[in-house]
Amino acid sequence: MKKRFPEVILYLVPIPLIFVSILFGPSELLSINELAKLLISNSKSSGEDFEVIRDIVLNIRLPRVILAFLIGAALTVSGNSLQALFRNPLVSPDILGLSAGAAFGAAFSLAYGLLPLQISAFISGLLAVSLSYLLAVTYRGISTITLILAGIIVTSFFTALLTIIQFLTDPFKLQSIVHWTMGNLHTASWSKVSSAVFPITLSLIWLMLIRWKLNIVSLGDTETKAVGVNPDRAKLLIIIPATLACSSSVAVAGVVAMVGLVVPHMIRMLVGPDNIKVQPMAVVFGGSFLLCVDTISRTLTEYEIPISIFTILIAAPFFVYLLKKGKIFFRET
Amino acid sequence: MIEVKNLSFSFGDHEVLKNVSAKLYEGKFTAILGRNGSGKSTFLKVIAGIIKYKKGEVRIFGKDLRQIKDSERAKIIGYLPQFHTATFPYKVLDVVLTGRAPYVFSMPKKFDIYKSEEALDAVGISHLVDRPYSELSGGERQLVMMARVLAQEPKILLLDEPLTHLDLTNQYHMMELIKNHLSKGITVIAVLHEPNMAFKYADEFILLKRGQIIELSYHFKPWHQDILKELYDIELNTINFNDKAYIIP
Repeated sequence: MKKRFPEVILYLVPIPLIFVSILFGPSELLSINELAKLLISNSKSSGEDFEVIRDIVLNIRLPRVILAFLIGAALTVSGNSLQALFRNPLVSPDILGLSAGAAFGAAFSLAYGLLPLQISAFISGLLAVSLSYLLAVTYRGISTITLILAGIIVTSFFTALLTIIQFLTDPFKLQSIVHWTMGNLHTASWSKVSSAVFPITLSLIWLMLIRWKLNIVSLGDTETKAVGVNPDRAKLLIIIPATLACSSSVAVAGVVAMVGLVVPHMIRMLVGPDNIKVQPMAVVFGGSFLLCVDTISRTLTEYEIPISIFTILIAAPFFVYLLKKGKIFFRET
Repeated sequence: MIEVKNLSFSFGDHEVLKNVSAKLYEGKFTAILGRNGSGKSTFLKVIAGIIKYKKGEVRIFGKDLRQIKDSERAKIIGYLPQFHTATFPYKVLDVVLTGRAPYVFSMPKKFDIYKSEEALDAVGISHLVDRPYSELSGGERQLVMMARVLAQEPKILLLDEPLTHLDLTNQYHMMELIKNHLSKGITVIAVLHEPNMAFKYADEFILLKRGQIIELSYHFKPWHQDILKELYDIELNTINFNDKAYIIP
């Protein structure tokens, strides 16, 4: 039996991380040291400088830190839930066509403005998932493979629609659409936090309450039925909150790639595969992961590099490592 | 008692069970025998509530199977599938613990863990408790799934080929385990490929051929030459031992 990494330490990671992350940033007004000094003695300082710093910290960095943590947690929890549900460690929220659907919805909103960005992405994301689901349902239930194939078809379909919009729209809007689809957090604001916090928290609480069911469902349909759990109903009760969490993230930050796919694997390496442990760790570790990546992405260079580029650069080699080490295997029964 | 009346079942156009009627008695060990594709496993799955039937009737302790809620059914019936593969390397205890699902609302309690450990002990695999399930051999996995069924504490055990992956010693232990549960009043119904094991341990027999039941009249025991030829389509020689007959290879 391998000794596991002490979990308590992992649970405490976000606290210093959030604090440090608030201190860092590409602020032209102040160095990190000055900012730290002013933060510690904020009650005594006053004047114009302090007001600016206050504004930066409270209205720019704090919402961004919260948003990064929320989205990291949402993507990781829904990724892990979907992997358990499909008994397939290669599945991610993207597989259901959710990201493509939400990206199309957002692009549609950016180009034509019929609906607010968040709502449009959310509706379109849900539509894509429902479509994948409906395509996969047959009289014999829902097969894992069919659902994944349906997801691929739906993804292609919505990607094609997105391309059409990019073709038809004017260059200025095109720029913002492309930037949005790459995933970014630099537009974080309190209004974005407030639009994402409710659906994400609600979904995470629900997925936390039923996390033991993930263990059952991941053993297979027959084994699930044998212990009196209806696998089709259980799948819906997992897919809906996982979709809600993920599409809410996509709505505020675009497509942040590979987090939902790779971070659950990192967590399983740390605490083992039991979802009773994995799910709460997915909130803490997933949130911390994205917060770290975002902090790096906004301090490393003078201009903002979309966060998705960093998540891919970190996740892709790790995923290759997992594949080569045989940590991921796929077996269809 | 489980009563099956005029049960028919098809996968698409292929009719697997044709008008099957049978009675399975409480506290008895019923063995289901037949060749590959005779409908044995399907018959068991229908009774276990794993697959839904449309034609016919299944009554469990007088109640229509379709009227029983899933979680209630799982407290009465435990089902051991034929083979099982794992995607995630769950610890053996975590796999067995899922057998407690009918009794658990959200999260398993200490009592459920205790019941799971008890089941592991009953099957004789306590030493595997912390091992990753996906790294076990076929036979060991079979035993883990058996422990999972026992953790479920059902009144009826439906076992699909419980001996297949097991070595001789474990086959013996499995049959003793079944005997032990029979003595506690548990009903056991098992699909068996080895007729001699069935002849030795079972009280009742259901013989299936191409989805239909071969009726046994009062005089004809299942080890009767004519019955065996009808069931397995080959001539088999038997030898008598302790009032029962066994097939000699």
